[in-house]
Amino acid sequence: MTHMVTGKWTARPVASAALRYGLAFASVVVALGLARIFLYFHLPQPFAAFALSAIAITFWYGGTKPGIVAAVLASIVRYFDWSEVGAVSRVLYDLVFVIFALLMIGVNRARSELEVRVAQRTAELTRANEDLSLEIAERKRAEEKLRQSEAYLAEAQKLTHTGSWVWEVAGRCALHLSEEWYRIYGFDPEEGMPAWDKRLQRIHPDDRAKWQQAIDQAISEKSDYEVEFRLLLPDGKVRHLHTVGHPVLDASGNLVQFVGSSTDITERKQAEEALRQAQSDLAHVSRVTTMGELTASLAHEVNQPIAAAITDANTCLRWLNRDHPDVEEAREAASRMVKDATRAAEIVSRTRLLFKKGTPQWELVDINEIIREMVALMRSEVTRYSISVRTELAEDIPQLTGDRVQLQQVLMNLMINAIDAMKDGDGTRELAVKSQRAENEQLMVSISDTGVGLPPQQADQIFNAFFTTKPHGTGMGLRISRSIIESHGGRLWAADNSPRGASFHLTLPVEAEAHE
Amino acid sequence: MATQAKVKLVAIVDDDELMRGALQGLLKAVGLPSRAFASAEEFLKSGQQHQTACLIADIRMPGMSGLELQAQLNAEHCRIPTIFITAHGDTKMRLQALRAGAVEFMAKPFDDEVLLENVRAALDS
Repeated sequence: MTHMVTGKWTARPVASAALRYGLAFASVVVALGLARIFLYFHLPQPFAAFALSAIAITFWYGGTKPGIVAAVLASIVRYFDWSEVGAVSRVLYDLVFVIFALLMIGVNRARSELEVRVAQRTAELTRANEDLSLEIAERKRAEEKLRQSEAYLAEAQKLTHTGSWVWEVAGRCALHLSEEWYRIYGFDPEEGMPAWDKRLQRIHPDDRAKWQQAIDQAISEKSDYEVEFRLLLPDGKVRHLHTVGHPVLDASGNLVQFVGSSTDITERKQAEEALRQAQSDLAHVSRVTTMGELTASLAHEVNQPIAAAITDANTCLRWLNRDHPDVEEAREAASRMVKDATRAAEIVSRTRLLFKKGTPQWELVDINEIIREMVALMRSEVTRYSISVRTELAEDIPQLTGDRVQLQQVLMNLMINAIDAMKDGDGTRELAVKSQRAENEQLMVSISDTGVGLPPQQADQIFNAFFTTKPHGTGMGLRISRSIIESHGGRLWAADNSPRGASFHLTLPVEAEAHE
Repeated sequence: MATQAKVKLVAIVDDDELMRGALQGLLKAVGLPSRAFASAEEFLKSGQQHQTACLIADIRMPGMSGLELQAQLNAEHCRIPTIFITAHGDTKMRLQALRAGAVEFMAKPFDDEVLLENVRAALDS
């Protein structure tokens, strides 16, 4: 290695052996020539100085061995040319040549060591240089990769409408806001990161408290947070956002930052809203269709109290028209009339509610009350087909959050199905409606009939859209009933009733949830 | 028995409470004693069918219908002049009822004068 390096990196020109040894002869000859010239002009005899120069030059440029040759030659020349000097001088001359040669050997060795070291250092530096350029290239590639990956990320953020951010808890200031974040919040990235209060101003006034609460809680618990809220942009546009944040703690466990993302879910919200509206419209159409089937019964149901009212009114008149009007009896007849009219009005208002079209109204409802109302509304219908109705309502059932009209619709659908299943059959016709508490904060309503039962081999299809066994059925009743119950966070299913007929069971969560 | 026959009781069988109240009130206003029953079964069980001079019955009721009640009474050889009051009346049902011995078949809401005439006619028969 060293050899290679020396060979390659030495500063000394690598001349051929002939040239180097030639230098020994030439330099001594030049020294001799110069000495002769000096002698010719009777100048002081400087051969020793010229010879030493010749030896030094040869050592320096020709190397150690030619140097030694030059020293030997100088001695020989001195011997033949300047033999006139004394013996002591001769020995002194030779000694000087030998010492000088030894000195030059030492110098040459030191020089070559130095050269080797320089070569090594140079090699190291070159290697370092090479490594550095490799590293620079690597870094450039990495930078390019990073730039690309950042571009991909920005593209992905754009596609998913997700902005990323980092904010410092102590100063309530943003440390990073992605391009998409700026777009969602409607800020210009050119103007730098917006101040905290400017950002707060973009949040819909109705949602600020909710947002603030989510963040305050996350800070106090050093926990993740997730919040849905709206932005109200300066141009009046409203955006729905879904934000998730994750706490960043320092080594000693102090909360330092939050990192997270905000997704613009406006389109999804709008689609959900449209879907809800469509479902509500469909439910309404289905309800009106079902009510259409009940028209005769409903008319009878209203007719009944009206007939009673007319009779009571006539009776009242009879008591008053006597020679001695009996006011007491007349009053009784009149108060019966009030009851009659009230009942007629109740039926009309219940019916009108079912016909009404509107967005679902979520409120606390008593399922037993809904059952009672629907049983009352169905009274004529069940009587018409000589069906007896048995209700078993558990009294300790808590209220639930739901849409009254939609729940009425489900019960109405299931009861009409039960009636339809029984009206052409023989034997006992009994419609049983039962409410009870179920596990996991649920309540269960069961509607059982003694009719024809579920269609064999198709029991699982009855909830499919457009599946019907009725000649004029739309096949939407059960489908819609199930989606209504599911939108309330519950389940609706069918089973065979023993010994005959079918049972429909539905569960509903008692706690206010499911609906968003 | 003789005194009971003189009472000439009118029985009302209707599942609708308001209707029963209205009919009883009307009969009371014209001085006719009546008893009301919420179902055909209740009437048959009461044993009063034999003292009943006139029956006012609804056709459609949970359990036994008005027509079934009439058939049952006929089977028991207890032919009571019967006035049917119904909201669902159709011609076929009307004929069936009249053939089985009904006095009249009235639709709700009914004319109280006509009803009372029919009741009086039944009581006089």
